[in-house]
Formats: sequence, structure tokens, C-alpha cells
Amino acid sequence: MRQPQAVRAGLIGGAVVLYLGAVGMLERFSERSIIVGLIRFNLVVMMAAFFVFALFAYRRATGEANTSLGTGITAGTVAGVTTGVVVIILSLLVDAGVDVRSMFLRISPAFFEAITLGTNPYLGLVILAVIGAVMGAAAGGFRRLQPTPRTIVITVVGTVLLLGLGARLFIPMLQGLGIPTAWLYRSDALTILGAVIVSVLAVVIRLYLQRKGGFRKALTEVPGVTPSNVRPILFALGAIAVLAAPWIGKQFVADVLGTVGLYILLGLGLNIVVGYAGLLDLGYVAFFAVGAYTVALLTARSSSMVGATIFDLAPEPLTNFWVALPITLVVAVVIGILIGAPVLRLRGDYLAIVTLGFGEIIRVLILSDWLKPIFGGPQGITEVADVPAFGADTNDPRVLYYLIIAFALISLFIAGRLKNSRVGRAWAAMREDEDIAEGMGVSVIKYKLLAFAMGAAVGCLGGAFFPAKLGVANPGSFTLLVSINVLAVVVLGGMGSIPGVIVGSAILVGLPELLREFGEYRLHIYGAILVMIMILKPEGLIPDRRRALELHAEEPHESVGPLTAAATPGVQ
Amino acid sequence: MDEVVSGYGASEVLHGISLTVNEGETVCLLGSNAAGKSTTLRTILGMVPTRKGSVKLRGERIDGLATPDIVAKGITMVPENRRLFAKMTVRENLEIGAQLRDDRPAIASDIESVFSMFPRLKERVTQKAGTLSGGEQQMLAIGRALMAKPSVLLMDEPSMGLAPILVEQVFETIDEISKQGITILVVEQNANVALGIADRGYVIQTGRIVMKDSAKALLANPELSRAYLGELEG
Repeated sequence: MRQPQAVRAGLIGGAVVLYLGAVGMLERFSERSIIVGLIRFNLVVMMAAFFVFALFAYRRATGEANTSLGTGITAGTVAGVTTGVVVIILSLLVDAGVDVRSMFLRISPAFFEAITLGTNPYLGLVILAVIGAVMGAAAGGFRRLQPTPRTIVITVVGTVLLLGLGARLFIPMLQGLGIPTAWLYRSDALTILGAVIVSVLAVVIRLYLQRKGGFRKALTEVPGVTPSNVRPILFALGAIAVLAAPWIGKQFVADVLGTVGLYILLGLGLNIVVGYAGLLDLGYVAFFAVGAYTVALLTARSSSMVGATIFDLAPEPLTNFWVALPITLVVAVVIGILIGAPVLRLRGDYLAIVTLGFGEIIRVLILSDWLKPIFGGPQGITEVADVPAFGADTNDPRVLYYLIIAFALISLFIAGRLKNSRVGRAWAAMREDEDIAEGMGVSVIKYKLLAFAMGAAVGCLGGAFFPAKLGVANPGSFTLLVSINVLAVVVLGGMGSIPGVIVGSAILVGLPELLREFGEYRLHIYGAILVMIMILKPEGLIPDRRRALELHAEEPHESVGPLTAAATPGVQ
Repeated sequence: MDEVVSGYGASEVLHGISLTVNEGETVCLLGSNAAGKSTTLRTILGMVPTRKGSVKLRGERIDGLATPDIVAKGITMVPENRRLFAKMTVRENLEIGAQLRDDRPAIASDIESVFSMFPRLKERVTQKAGTLSGGEQQMLAIGRALMAKPSVLLMDEPSMGLAPILVEQVFETIDEISKQGITILVVEQNANVALGIADRGYVIQTGRIVMKDSAKALLANPELSRAYLGELEG
């Protein structure tokens, strides 16, 4: 075989497509149209798989094969044929009366339908081979494109996929803005005309911006905007977008954005512990729970608490949200220090395991029968009072969204100031070398406790809004998965990076909402995206300057300032 | 420092060491590998606990204090192998050195005086410490320690891993620092260079002081080299 790499990539590609089919994803995706009557999501995914593995084939190929169209076509065709042949074998087995589904539950008639695009297995083989070959050739061609046509292709594909997949998010938003949607969408999928129009629009805008040298430069062409005031104007536009967002579309949008805001708070808190101080905390959910339960205990109608009769409490709430909030902060800081104190001597993996344990302890305690009179056991605390804001008690997600955003901004400000303060520097030194940091006068004990306390305080703010949002606090919301999700927000965005937390929250919390209709498969896709981002950008999406240096330490050092650049020739 | 016994875990490294450094003096502590030189410095700074005996600074006992508190009393160390914060910039390393100080303008002017002592560092102010050459790293480690405005400077093997010409430069710098009135205790294997700038010297062997004398007398003493070979009875 002259192109072993291409064949290998193709075989893997075929296996991936078969896997996606066998777990039932293609079947589920086939129910989702991207463009009405033209393209369904299962086809998009298959095409993408062929395309990506053809690109892999090129990555592995050397010499002439690295540029020849043949490499991609071989890889794509092999992938298509592999898929098709296995599908035929499976169908023959099914025809012969073998109970394939006893092992592969999802190999149903709908599986064959989805993977052969509604034809029969034999025609399916031909179709898959052709699609594979075309996508392989496309991959080869794509690599040869000049930057501009390449931008056009990416823009068109990206726009159509985003608008097509996000139909259920964008339709209410457009309607909220008073824009008719009939021309663009029909039954949750793009119309052909709509797809063409938005693609053209997107390409025109993209190319225009590119020609002007980016959005910021393009903005200076607008009368009244000069390079000196472009920053505040961008800031104002951003602020308007943030403030207006919950009014566009239904409450659903405000709800999702509120959750994103909660994760920004949690992420900022954990970022202090993990990103600044370098203490890997896997039990961060503890502070989320502490915040939620303290607010719930103080503001729920006390009769809703299981133990109300024991304590002989009146049915009125003990206090309101704004009184409960500072109490919650104090409680969280105390618990942060209580959790921090015993683990001060632990480092790295050991610290992670112990904090993981603490997170579980908190969850088990609130779930326990023993503390049921206080925390209500599995049922939790119900009838948590609404938040008094703007002159009324409310649980309107839009109002809560504003409050969460306000607290997120305060936390952003504090986190930003901390980072470049003496405290931030002490944390950075401690993260690098605890012993020497002590030798410089950094009290490791003090600064570790401070990190836990600060992290706890910011994290409990997120927790405080949670029961106000849902009206209840129960143990089901405070599982290990929350700790992992928050950690993922921090790592994905870039450890120690504040903008990273915002982007990480938007992607990790917003994206699953976009994918909600795919049910259980959404975690599947989410996982695949996480893995891809971590392979392609291990330092996170918006890395902290210092962290980026750490991960690319082995790469040649780029000059950091004019002084260095000027001095370089004289280096010995 | 009086009859100090210390060690790590079950093993005792120093078996009763007594040494004195007078104010303004430069004293060197000589010895071969594993003689307990570094442990002596780490004990003074409280990184290794003192088990018996006492460590005093100007008559006040400091053994038993936590490291940061000892640093706050004016003792700073230039650690073995530099141990810079490799991923932080030159400036950040210097700022960390001044961690316990509050007076911003004074810190800024001290950074400038470190730069005037080591112009090479100024050229590299935004570069991360890990990318500096060995000699530059040693300069930065010294600069970082000076930023704490110490009255006593402990130096652990400043010559380690440096080219001979750089070793000479480093010791010239140490001499300069000493002239500023800072008390220096320097631990070295390279006896000749160290004694060249020191007022007095001690020789340590397997956790005990085996010789002490003025630097000149030690240089002239033929037993010195034998002590290194471990033939001298403690």
C-alpha cells in the first residue's frame, strides 16, 4: 500500500462513524434538520468525521503525499467504505436472524436508516464511499486554499451550523427583537433561502472587517469614534449587550444567562484557590452548598423546614436575603478556614483527594437523617423566600440575572485587584516554590488560609443566589459533578485568567443548553469538545500571561520588551 | 548559635554546632558534601527545627520561630542552586524579595539600586527568571535577597555551577555587599575563593565544627585540605 497513513486514518474515521451510529447518536441527530429538506445533522456529523480524518491523514503524511489530493481521497474513501461494509455485515447478520441488539442495543432499523441516509445498506455503501471521497478531496482542497477563500468557507460553515443548531435559542431572541423569522427558519431549521442570505451576510461582514483590520479598527470609521475613545465605546456596547440580553427572547434566555453568571462567580472563587494559589481543590461544591443552605435556612418560611415543629418556629422567614447574605459570607469564610486548616501541610494530589473528601462530607451531612431536622434530608429546604429587589419581592430570572451580574462584577474587580497585589504575588511565589517563598517572608500558612477563605467567600455568593433562583435547596444540586464542572470552567478558560473564567462559563454552561435537545448525548458532545480544546489549547482559551509561559517553557523565548530585544546581541 | 542539634525526621545532621558571626563580619563555613553546611543555614532560618541548643540574633532567641518571622527580623538567604521563581519575571522576583516591606517608594528605589549593582538584570527586567544564564540567575538571587533589606545575609554555595570567572565576580559582589555593613555568613566548598573575602572561617565535618580561625590563618593551615578529605578527627 502506497499510502499507509491515509488508509489508517480512514479506518479510524470509519470506526468513529460506526461508533457514533452504534451509540445511537446518528439516529438522534437524524431527527434534527439544519437546512430544511437539504441537510440533517447526522449527515453533517458524518461529513465532519470524514473531513477531519482526511485532515489527520495529511498531518501524518510526508513528502508528495502531504500535498496530493489522493491522500485525502484515499482516507475519505477508506472511511466511507469501512463504514458501509460494516453496515452491510450488520444488516446481513440481522437478516440471518442473529440478535445483534442483545449486545448493541442501538443497532435498530433507525440506525440503518440514519447511517445509510434512508437508503438500503448496499446503496448506502456507495453513498458513504462517495461522501467519503468528496470530503477527502475537500479536505485536500481546503488545505490548498488561500487565506481569504479559506475564511469564506469557515465563515459559511460556521454560520450555518451555529444558526441551524441554535434555532431554538435564536428564534425567540429574534422575535424578541421584533425581527420576523419566517424567512430564516421553518420548524426549527434554516430555510434554504435563509441559509444563503445569512451566509452571504456573514461573509460580507467578515471580509469587510478583515479589510479594515479587525472590529476595533472598523469601528473607528464610524463618525465620532476615534482610536482614543474606541475602548470606552466597546465597553459601553458590551454593557448594553449584557443589560439587554435577558429582555431579548423569553425567560429561558435570562435563565440560562443567570446560570452562566452563577458559574462565573463559582469560577472566579475557584480561580483564586487553584489559579492564583495553586491549591487543587476538588471539593469546591462545598462552598456552593454552604452558600445555598445558609441563605435557604435563613430566608425559607420556617414551617417548610422539617424540624419546624421541634424548634417551634413561626411560619415567617427568619430574615430576608440581604440580611442573610453577609451572614452567609461569614459562615462560608469560617468553613473555608476550617476546611483549609487541616490540609495546610498537604500538597498536590494529596490536597486534591482530601478536598474531594470534604466536598462529599458536606453533601452527605446535608443529606443525612441525623441533620434532617435542620437541613431537611433528601427533600432539602423548600419555600425559600424571593429576593427583595427594586421595591418588590421577586424570583424573576431577569432581576436575579442583574443581581448576579452585579455581584460577578464586584468579584471580578476584587479578583483582578488581588491578582496584581502583594497578596497575588505571594500566592504566585507559593505556587512555584513553597520553601523559598517562606524564605522570602511569605507565610505559607497565612496565604493558604487566605486563599481558601477568599475562594469560599466568592463561591458562596454563587451558592446564595441558587436557592433564591429555584425556591428550594436540596442535596441533589451539590454533587461532585459541580466541583468538576467549575474546575473545568477554570481550566478551559485558562488557569489564573479572569476573562478565561467568563468565556469558560459561557461555553461550558451555555453550550449544554444549546445542545439540550440531544438529551443524554449532549454530555457526549460536550466531552468531545472539552478533549479537543485541551489538545489544541492546553493553556486554556484565554490563558493568563504567566501560565502560558509555564506551559510553553521549552519553546524559544520571545522578546518581551524593547530593552530585551536591544540587549540580545550582547548575550554571552 | 550555640550547641545546636538539628536534623530531618529521625536523622540527626548537626550534632552540636556553635558558631558566632559578629555584626558587620563576613564569615565562611567550609566543608565537604553532606557535612551539614546547608542544614546549618536552614536551621538558622527555622526551615529545619532546632532540637537542642539555641539560635540567637543580637542576644534574642530566634529558634522556634516560623521562617517568615525570622526573615522579618532581618535574616535572608540566597538559597543553594539559586531557587529563583523561574516562571516569574526578573522584576517580580525582586518584588517578592521585598514581600515583608510596606514602603513602595523605597522598594522602587531599592530595585533601581539592585539594577545599578547588576546592570545585566535591568536589561532583562521583563524576562522570566528561568531563561537567564547561570551567572545572571545568581545575580538575581542575590538581588532578591537584598530586596528584603537584611541585616544578616546567608549564602548557600554561591559558586555552585558557575564558571571560574563568574565565581570571582560573585565573590567580588559579596565583598561589596559586606562593605555596605551587611553581616554575611557564606557556605562554600570552594575554600580559597571564600576565605579570600572572609574575615573568619569555620570548617564543619559530619555535623561538627572541627576548625575555626581567622581567614588568613585558615588559608595558611595545611590541615585545611586534610579536613576536606575527611581525615581529621572531630
